[in-house]
Amino acid sequence: MDKIIKDLTSRFKVTDYIQQRPNMAYVTVQKELAISLITHMRDIEGFTHFVLLTAVDWIEDNLFQLTYILNSPDKKVDLGIRVMIDRENPTMDSAHHLWQQVATYQRELKEMFGIDFPGSPRVDESFILEGWDDIPPYRRDFDTLKYAEETYFPRDGRGSNDPAEYMKKKLYPDEEK
Amino acid sequence: MSLKDLLTPFTAWKNVFEDSYVVKDPFNDRPGADRYRGFHKNDISECIGCGTCEEICENKAIDLVPVEGIDTKDGDSGLRPRVDYGRCCWCALCVDVCTTNSLSLSNEYTWVSEDPEDFRFIPGVDKKPWDDNEKGWKKPEGEYNFYEPERVHMEHLEPEARDNSFIEMVKGFSKEQAQKEADRCVECGICVATCPAHMGIPEYIKAVRQDDIEQGFKILYETNPLPEICGRICTHKCETVCSVGHNGDPLSIRWLKRYIADQVDSEDYKKVLGTENIEKNDRKVAIIGAGPAGLSAAHYLALAGYNCTIFEKLPEAGGMMRYGIPEYRLPYDQLDKDINYIKSLGVEIKYNTSVGKDILLNDLKREYDAVFAGTGLHLGRSTRIPGTDHEQVYMAADLLREISLGNEIPLAEKIVVIGGGNVAMDITRSIARLQNKKYGKVDVTATSLESEDIMPADREEVVEAREEKAIVDPGWGPEKIEIEEGKLKGLHVKKCLSVFDEAGRFSPTFDEENHKFFPADMIVESIGQGADLSYISDDIRDNIEFNERGRMVVNEYFQSKAEWLFVGGDIIQGPDVIHGIANGHQAARGIDKYLNGDLKYKSE
Amino acid sequence: MKRNKLIWQPDRSKYPEHDSNGKPIVDLKSQKFTKLWQGPNHPGVTGNMSLELTLSGDEVVEAKTHVGYLHRGFEKLMERRTYMQCFPTSIRMCVAEPDSNEYVLSAAVEELSGIEVPETAQWLRMLALEMARLQVLLRVVPGIASTLSLGLGSQWGMYMREHILDRFEELTGGRIYHMYILPGGVRGQLPDGFKKRMLENLDMIDGFIKRIEDLIFSNNVFKKRTVGVGILKPEWVDQFGVVGPPARGAGFKRDVRKDYPYLKYNEIDFDPFMATDSDIYTRAIVRKQDLIMTVDIIRQILDKIPNDKEIRAKTPNVLHLEIPKGEVYARSESSRGEYGMYIVSDGSKYPRRVNLRGPSYTHAVALLEKMLINANISDVHAIMVSLQTCPPEIER
Repeated sequence: MDKIIKDLTSRFKVTDYIQQRPNMAYVTVQKELAISLITHMRDIEGFTHFVLLTAVDWIEDNLFQLTYILNSPDKKVDLGIRVMIDRENPTMDSAHHLWQQVATYQRELKEMFGIDFPGSPRVDESFILEGWDDIPPYRRDFDTLKYAEETYFPRDGRGSNDPAEYMKKKLYPDEEK
Repeated sequence: MSLKDLLTPFTAWKNVFEDSYVVKDPFNDRPGADRYRGFHKNDISECIGCGTCEEICENKAIDLVPVEGIDTKDGDSGLRPRVDYGRCCWCALCVDVCTTNSLSLSNEYTWVSEDPEDFRFIPGVDKKPWDDNEKGWKKPEGEYNFYEPERVHMEHLEPEARDNSFIEMVKGFSKEQAQKEADRCVECGICVATCPAHMGIPEYIKAVRQDDIEQGFKILYETNPLPEICGRICTHKCETVCSVGHNGDPLSIRWLKRYIADQVDSEDYKKVLGTENIEKNDRKVAIIGAGPAGLSAAHYLALAGYNCTIFEKLPEAGGMMRYGIPEYRLPYDQLDKDINYIKSLGVEIKYNTSVGKDILLNDLKREYDAVFAGTGLHLGRSTRIPGTDHEQVYMAADLLREISLGNEIPLAEKIVVIGGGNVAMDITRSIARLQNKKYGKVDVTATSLESEDIMPADREEVVEAREEKAIVDPGWGPEKIEIEEGKLKGLHVKKCLSVFDEAGRFSPTFDEENHKFFPADMIVESIGQGADLSYISDDIRDNIEFNERGRMVVNEYFQSKAEWLFVGGDIIQGPDVIHGIANGHQAARGIDKYLNGDLKYKSE
Repeated sequence: MKRNKLIWQPDRSKYPEHDSNGKPIVDLKSQKFTKLWQGPNHPGVTGNMSLELTLSGDEVVEAKTHVGYLHRGFEKLMERRTYMQCFPTSIRMCVAEPDSNEYVLSAAVEELSGIEVPETAQWLRMLALEMARLQVLLRVVPGIASTLSLGLGSQWGMYMREHILDRFEELTGGRIYHMYILPGGVRGQLPDGFKKRMLENLDMIDGFIKRIEDLIFSNNVFKKRTVGVGILKPEWVDQFGVVGPPARGAGFKRDVRKDYPYLKYNEIDFDPFMATDSDIYTRAIVRKQDLIMTVDIIRQILDKIPNDKEIRAKTPNVLHLEIPKGEVYARSESSRGEYGMYIVSDGSKYPRRVNLRGPSYTHAVALLEKMLINANISDVHAIMVSLQTCPPEIER
């Protein structure tokens, strides 16, 4: 694994290398080099099994993190590849030509995070959320609780008390802070 | 196509003659398994309404609601969990986290009702057919805990090392220990109501956990201007109601408070608390007594901009905290740390100034806009048994004061202390140290009316006293002091059967057959102290209300009938430090209101 | 008149016409095509998803998977729950085999926060996981025949499964949602007499396997319907991320338990069954062999399980359990194949992101859409069930 990483560092300028466990590592790569890195891993290093593609919303840094996890069935090691992309105008090169299954992941990311993958088959078709007209719901700024409160109605008669506040109300109501 | 493949499927026909597999009467024939997670049960007499079940519920299925017949009191919020089965997923995390072990799940799973409202009820209060089911999911006792039930061990000086010194014996938490201890808190907030000062206990414990000392320190000072002191010698009533203590040790709330205060340097106090620039007004408040109540009142008044002057009879500030509590429990430098900060806010302290002698209360009334009196209880009470007028019979409060002043106290080789409170333990343990220094051995016996289980002293005080080789022999009522040819010989006692009558009044009963004799050369009485109110002159006294037991009557702001005079601390409530602090704080609020014309003794 | 011989998979090279990209030209107005929706209320194990099929005669020319009927957004919901609260949430991402969810969540949390799980708890976890696999396979192995209207095996299987659910009820307190494997360990010891009852059930299952071998696997009709049907080409395995029994049926011996041993699987003697024909029948056989293997593994676990009191590691107070910053991918072998969870922690009480990788995500969407083309309409269910799709893990 070390050898691979050393090679990747020189060829693809990967950074933030973390060895999570002996057979699993994570690296970060620039957006422009990501697809060639993934292709390299698949064709040269034998990471032929595509495990998953997902996104993490780092709203405070204005970034989306895309994580590609690749697996080498022969060497039995995993490599997680992180790609940081701008949150304002999120687009990423598609990888569907490497694995046909990736189109599904990209379609979901488009819908749930609003990340575009130009050229990916059916990327604009709705996947899970038919008829959704709010912001992409897996973004951090989409508040599920608020949405639920606005969309559904609470059951009558629910309501709780905080023990400390309730005790203050009962035992020493007049004391101000 | 083989013939076998054509024929073998027909072997299934032989099953035609098998019985069908049906549970005919599932309501009776098929109870849930022993660990089944069915509908909730709650032992509401054990439940304290701490709300951890609500806290951990991932579905928001639990509400805490008031229940008729369950009163809100110390250690019990009076609330009980109500479960909405429209949301419950029967994960039983609420059971696993329950602090009192009152909540469990029954193995009932067949119950149905046509009314959807029936599926929301308060387990244990709304009676259900499965309330007596023994089986079902219970907190797996001894197998795992969602929080650590045992407290982090606080290191003490070994008994040998502390026997003859007055060095502080409790070492205090390290950062790791404090965070580990703070992690045990379930943030229920039951303790807040019990704390006389209503400190923000869960909040400052959270600050310890998150290593945000400054935030924690600010929270301390919101309600308590003497955290170094309280962090050492507070009677920590909060810990007696701690929900975690129901199944394990309560949180070491006192030590955590001390930990926060210990982390902040005196020079940084003003910066951390944001009190570098206080806008002063031109009004003046006089405070009598630099004990916890007086200091607390002075602190909050100074923050509000008042000019405060404290009149202190003794040469240093602190009151009972300095002159009643031995140094091994509360080192003087820590006491000074808290007091110096209050002084730095512009509070003036006039030492060696006895109101009533050096300056009259009426002068204060004239020269100041308001007066707060927190003069405490400094007169030792006597048992008044025969022989107490002997010269070798002393009062604990007097001896403790002399020790603090650095004076030598009379010290016999064989001493008996009468009393079972914290002051009795203080003098017993102080005597043990002094005897050890002087004679190289300890021979002091403390005896109290109350038996071991109802002794008013803190448990650890008794344990530590014994560690220091003092004898604690509780449950004896003093009869008389044996004096032979003018020389004190010892104390006669008889077995005490009960101290209080059924109505809870003080009315001891004795076993007249069971006597005992404690030989002694010297006896110390420590059964409580009284107030010296001689400084209140008669003309003022006429304007103040007293109750039938001779205590001054004050309103909720500790304002007396003479509206300019506020009174608090041990003479009103307590006796302990934290009540004094709370009284001082509340009186400061009252004085502020009074001086702004918003407060009358009796609101009409 | 000469009778036309019934051709199972007729040559479709001429019709429908294809465009230059090789895609069929479908003109619904021509009245030569039929749109048929299978689902979302299909009552079989495939449940809550639908297939939009374009048919030419009785053959599928185009298939699209539609999901979203079950979407509850668990991954998002978990972002506002503490790690301990995530554990009852996670299980609902797969109803049929919830234990895998519990395990991967716990394993991920433990790996990130460095919690060592006690020995006994590891064995108990393995027992729960294998029991879950067993109860799924008891349903799925005969289930493939049900899709072709041979329901008897399924009835037997369901009866066997009830016994395993009874054991689950004893061990964990729940029949379907076991909520047994939680971060730090497990929630209960083996009950008294559990081993004996479990072994009796396993003996019963041995008999059951013999009976379904006779009823289903030696059944000429079943063979006719499944042999050579629903071929999963080996070159698709990596293209479509095929894992578990479908991959093992296509000649790829992939099993997380063997390749990346977790818990105590390296102390268990087992060898995943592999075949190469890669049709529905082969996948059914692979699952049947899995069932036999699972029964054997459970016997080994019951034999080796230590009787130690400690079942959960000491963790900080779960009400404010914080996990160090980092990311982790934990995987396990579910009955459907590699099942993994990717968790990103930002150091707070709540996970920053949870992502579940379920086998059906690729099996039931990209792969199924590919495999259904040119299939006969009557085989669609069988192909779908042979991939053992589980809609909740597609849309989480």
